[in-house]
Amino acid sequence: MATSNLHKWASLPDPSSADLARATEGDAQAFKLIVERYQGMVYSVAYNVLGNRTDAEDAAQEAFLRCYRKLPQFRSEATFSTWLFRLALTASVDYKRREKRHPEPVETPELVAEEAPELGEGVDAATIVAALHDLPEDYRVPTVLRDVYGLPYQEIAEATGRPLGTVKVMVHRGRASLRLKLRAEGAGPEQGLAGARPRSDA
Amino acid sequence: MDCSYFRERINLYVDGELGYLEVAELQQHLSFCPDCAAELAQVGEVRGALAAWGRLELAPPPAFAERVMAVAELEPLPGSPRPFGRAVSDTLEYLDEKLGSIPLPGGRHLPVKNVIGWGLATAAVVIGFERRHGRRSRELTPL
Repeated sequence: MATSNLHKWASLPDPSSADLARATEGDAQAFKLIVERYQGMVYSVAYNVLGNRTDAEDAAQEAFLRCYRKLPQFRSEATFSTWLFRLALTASVDYKRREKRHPEPVETPELVAEEAPELGEGVDAATIVAALHDLPEDYRVPTVLRDVYGLPYQEIAEATGRPLGTVKVMVHRGRASLRLKLRAEGAGPEQGLAGARPRSDA
Repeated sequence: MDCSYFRERINLYVDGELGYLEVAELQQHLSFCPDCAAELAQVGEVRGALAAWGRLELAPPPAFAERVMAVAELEPLPGSPRPFGRAVSDTLEYLDEKLGSIPLPGGRHLPVKNVIGWGLATAAVVIGFERRHGRRSRELTPL
């Protein structure tokens, strides 16, 4: 069962209630602190949903503007980071529905952490980025929302405006396509996905 | 062996969407079918790699925060009365979020808010026509 990455981002420290109150009153410095603290999270979400840096920057900016406008509506029942995470997801999916994608050559984005991440045997960041980049648009967004961020199918259907059954099929096909791509890119026959036996039937 | 029946269920299994009996049936098949067991392992590895990727923080472009602030400073203060155009676009955005859309053939979607908008516009035209036509009819009707 997927553990939602919401939990990971929710562990970011929230701004103090005094800082939030100042930002809500229009204090630019207080809002800048919020932008600086959460820009990595918001940009990461936008990049993973949209798959290129130009669109991700536009959508991340839109997410922060929505945050600014909706600050008075924030209620402390949810953590601030969870609230902003969902705003970033919504802004990115809306951007995807509204704007035509800017084609860009695939390029692995820089990570905040300096050490190479552990993603699985024979799988590195460049492999994942390339595999996601090559997925058809219709498969990529639901697959990212489901398996990168662990959203429930119903929520994905509502966010993308597609029927629930269609979303499930798209995620299943996205996984199948990723599985083949990652297996093709695998490091060696004895490692992880590359070592799996090929299917004997279709 | 034709495993297609079980292959279709592997995704449902990892999503926790199979019933108790279906899980037992699949697990029994997996216990003696190495190909399906391998496929289940691969799907698990893909999902694990994607989830691990989602926990990483990507570095935003240089001076991103400054660009956001430059645009945010042009915005009205949070919670202040919005200009009419912004109020309309926010309302439409809210309706879009809440009402969703109707799927059409070819993967296209018709926003429900548009259907409601067209319905209201048609109703307004019909009522206007009826009032005008009705008044003229009354004027022309001999007493």
